[in-house]
This record gives sequence, C-alpha cells and structure tokens, in this order.
Amino acid sequence: MAARKTERLMNLIIALLVSRQFVTKERLREAIGGYHDLTDAAFDRMFERDKDELRELGISVETGSNDTYFADEVGYRIRRDDAELPDIELTREEAAVLGLAAQVWEHAGLAGESSTALVKLKAAGIDVDTTVLRMAEPRLSTEEPSFDTIWDAVTRRIPVRFDYQRPGRDATARHVQPWGVISWRDRWYLGGLDLDRGEPRLFRLSRVQGDVTTAGQPGSYEVPEGTDMRQLAAMLFPAEPSEAAVLRIRRGRAQSLRRTAEQVTPVDDDFDEVHVRYASAWEIASEITSYGPDVVVISPEQVRDAVVNRLRAVVDAS
Amino acid sequence: MLALVPYLQGRDGIPVKDVAAEFGVSAKQIRDDLRLLMYVGPGQLPGELIDFDLGALEEDGVVHIRDAEFMTRPLRLNAREAVALIVALRTLRASASGDQTAIIDSALSKLESAIGDDVSAPVDVHVDQVDPHIHTAVEQAISHGKRLEISYATASRDDRTDRQVDPRRIFTSQGRLYLEGWCLKAADLRFFRLDRVIEAEVTPHDAEQHDAEGRDLADGLFTVGADAPYAVLDLHPHAHWLTEYYQVDLLETRDDVRRVKMFGADWSWLRRLVLRNAGSVSVVEPAFLAAEVHQHATAALAAYDGEHTSSKE
Repeated sequence: MAARKTERLMNLIIALLVSRQFVTKERLREAIGGYHDLTDAAFDRMFERDKDELRELGISVETGSNDTYFADEVGYRIRRDDAELPDIELTREEAAVLGLAAQVWEHAGLAGESSTALVKLKAAGIDVDTTVLRMAEPRLSTEEPSFDTIWDAVTRRIPVRFDYQRPGRDATARHVQPWGVISWRDRWYLGGLDLDRGEPRLFRLSRVQGDVTTAGQPGSYEVPEGTDMRQLAAMLFPAEPSEAAVLRIRRGRAQSLRRTAEQVTPVDDDFDEVHVRYASAWEIASEITSYGPDVVVISPEQVRDAVVNRLRAVVDAS
Repeated sequence: MLALVPYLQGRDGIPVKDVAAEFGVSAKQIRDDLRLLMYVGPGQLPGELIDFDLGALEEDGVVHIRDAEFMTRPLRLNAREAVALIVALRTLRASASGDQTAIIDSALSKLESAIGDDVSAPVDVHVDQVDPHIHTAVEQAISHGKRLEISYATASRDDRTDRQVDPRRIFTSQGRLYLEGWCLKAADLRFFRLDRVIEAEVTPHDAEQHDAEGRDLADGLFTVGADAPYAVLDLHPHAHWLTEYYQVDLLETRDDVRRVKMFGADWSWLRRLVLRNAGSVSVVEPAFLAAEVHQHATAALAAYDGEHTSSKE
C-alpha cells in the first residue's frame, strides 16, 4: 500500500474511532489531509473506496445521524467496542502457544496474516515468550496454484468453477459450493457441494487444472448444518481395523505388520505366528506381498488368495 | 501498522531493534513506519498528531511515543488474520499430545471468544496419530533435556534397532510426526518417524549438546541425491497414482502404460514397492532388480504351493 494511502486510511480510522458522535463527510474532508485538494467528485469516489477498504480490513463503519429531527445529515463512526480487540487474559504457556502458532504457516500470505494477528495480541499487552514451551513444530505449506482462490472461496462462501483432472482421465469442468478444506499428508483437499452431480464431493487441489474462477457472490449459499470435513474426507482415512488375520512372519522381519500385532507366538526357529487386525483386504495383501517370502498368510482365505494372485502375476509376467 | 501505536505506549523507551524483532520486520521498516505515524492523529493541530522523541530515536535507537492516548488498544483481528491463526493453532493441536493439548485448547477458546462469532474457519488439518505413550515420552525427553532410548523399525531395510538418541525437536512432514535427534549409534543427526518408534524410554541421563547443523528442510525431507538408486518401471492404470505420491520422472506413455524413472532410498525399498503393486507395476530395468523381484515372488509362492492347489481340488 502506498504510504499516502496508508496514512489517509489510518487518519480516517482514527477520526471515526475517537468521535462519540457521527462525523459528517464534510468534516472528514476538512480533518484529513489526504482529502484536501480534490474536486468534489474525486473526493466522493475516494471516500467510497476508502470505506470499502476499511470493510475489507474487517472494520465496520456505522452510518447514522446525530440529530433525530434532521436525519438528512448523515455521518459516520466506528464503535470502539466493536473495533477494538477486547481484553484477553492468557497464561504464559497459552501466550507461548500463540507465538508458536504464528510460525506454522509457510504460505507467504497466511504467514503474514498470522504474524499480524500475533502483533495485535502483543499490542494488547500480551507478552509472548515461546521458549517456555517445547512442543512439536508442525508446518503448513501449500504448493497448489489454486490454493489462494480456494482458500478465499471457502472462508467467504463463494461458489467456484474449475477444471478437474483425475489421473488417466480427461479434465472436466466442475461447479462447486465450497464447504471446507482439509490438509492431509501435506496435500490440500476441498470439500463441497458438486453442483453438476448434486452431491458432496472431495477434490484434491493438485488435480485442479488452470485457474479457479468465482461463480457467484460471497455468502451466496449456506453450508449445511453439522457439516464435518473429517467426515466428508473419510475416504482419506483408514477405516477401523475390524478383520483378523493370522500370519507367519520370519523372526525380526515385516516390522510394519508386527507393529500392530495383537499376539506373537514363536512356531519354530525361524518363524512367529502373528495375529493382526486389518480394515481392507486389498491393503493388507499389498503389505504382505511386499515382504515376499518373509510373510505367509494362514488365514483368512480372502487375504491368502489375494496374495497368491499377486505373486502369480509377478511370476507369470516374467 | 496501527498496532504499533498501542504497542509502543505500553513499552516506553523500547529499542527499535526489539520492536523490529517483535513485528518480524527490519529496523528500517519500523523507522519508516514511525515517520509515517507522525502524520497520523485525530486532527492536524500540534498535539493532535502522534509524536516521537526524535533525539532518542536517532541517537539511542529507542522509541518514546507521545500524544497517542487516543488509541491504547489494537484493532480486532480481521477475518483473514483470525482464520490464519486459528488454523495454525489447530495444526499445533493435531501434532501435540497430553498436557499440551489442554493448553492449546484453552488458548484456542480464549482467542475465539476475543474474535467473535462471525468468523468461521472451515479448515481441518490432519496429522497422523502415534502411540500416545511414545509421543509423550519423546516430548518429555525434549522438555527436560534427557537422553532417549528407542527401538526403531527401519522401513526400507525392514529391521529393528535399539538406539540412544539425544532429542532436539519434533516436527511434521507430509502430515506425519518426526523426531530429530543425535543418534549415538550413527554419531550423527537423524530423523525418526514417530509411528515407527516401537518403544521409547526417557533415561535419567542428560542429553548432550552436539555440534551439528540441523538439516534445512526447506527443500523437503526426502531429496533425491545424485547417487540415489532408481529403476525404470512400467505402471499400468491401477498404479498410475504412484506418480502423484513418489518422486518420478515420466519417460513415456504408451496406450495406458506409463514408463517412469522411480527413485528410491535403496534397492530393497524399490523391490518392495514393485512387489506391493504386483500385477500393475513391472520392472524394465535394471535386470537384477527384475530378477530379484521374480525370485522373491517365486520363493513366497512356494510356501502356498502344496496347500493352495490341494484346497482347490
């Protein structure tokens, strides 16, 4: 933002903030240096733009009149208790948590916004010393070119349109009312109502091709009550392991299967019998096959057959 | 920039460099901002504009603010700032364990009540959970500066080793938790995926300081070195998803088969990858990898042979 504009906006905020009464436009024009030396029309345009700008900054400007009898003289003001950060009492540890949170984003825009948020808290008198706590240092990054538009659409409820390409298929145009986003394994997913299909769908942002365009006004739809991104994204998460399998595993091998074992019994000098639980026969068959002769399936038949079929496919192919 | 006004009033005489550090900008930026603030105030008469003790600013590099009593509190967080910070807190929460979760929850609820109801953050961040006992043990060792004893499963070599580690920090990469620490066995800094730590115990020994630069993770945790082994593989449609998850170079596409160069941590990792996707991935080269895969599959199949054919008859 150019320095002159920053200065003008700050003066406008302060003028509207310090006054208990509504301030007329003419009074503002006199009081604020940036509004001098303008034609009436140029001043009107600039003043309207500045009000929009304040709204964008999240500051709501009230319109009203000081005189109930002569309501034609309109004025403006910012209510202090609306505009100012209320008191917030934090323990040392809680303040440290906020300080660490401001380091999480690796996305330039959001890193800037979370630091500005922290700066405001510090300005409210909160001392932030991040060294009082040692905790995990997660980072949130975004590589998807569509992220910024989608983020804006999700937080302001703006319908969007984009081309979506699943691997091995042609890209298709999608019209979506965004409900939320979720980060899973460093990838971002958008959940929302797919208007072409009339059903909720999950989209991986890395599969969005080209530009995302907005297709409606902010707040032009409602997110259904009780929408849970975690539920919408359930397909990303492994189901509860409810099935049981019995395996023979060579001693000291197949660590990934042993880690979740319910029971391990030695059968001979080389092998253990290992009881494990699994959610998907397909998944566990993949895992077992990867270990080659180190793992043999005893039961169930479904998993054993799946493993045998895969091994045959390898042997037959060569 | 307006946040400087209440901030400086609460900290009379603060050095410019401290302000710069707190706001995460350069000292020059702060000086420029202060210069601009001298044109800001509720009016244009002397005493209505913000003023600074310029002598102290130029000579001692410290800030004394005057005539700014009209603004003693910062403005509210706007929606974008609030959402960015709330989502960051949720990310911390998803990676924390035990006592720390409670601290984050209370910070989050205090922040949310200060922000107001009209901000919604429909954003969820998932971090894979690990055994809470192990998570807590590692966290405590870091907090108290103690050495850890862990039993660790290496994925690519498929073995389990016991190690002593002087822990440095826990971080996340690709939605998973990792421990960075000095491994006494390797005599070097190492990363350990927490879900592969089978046991972890805090020892009474103090962790030692080791003079080693932490690896810069800006380029990602798993960068392919010049000497990383690679195989040329044919991916059939069921295995096309691999190109989205692993580091590959696409060489050519014929019909629905994609030929790729796939890099791996070592040969056994590549062998297991091919076996895991048996039927939809085949090895083009090197020949010894193809032979090894074939040999492993044949040996594995032998265990089922008698039993399996007889059950069919």
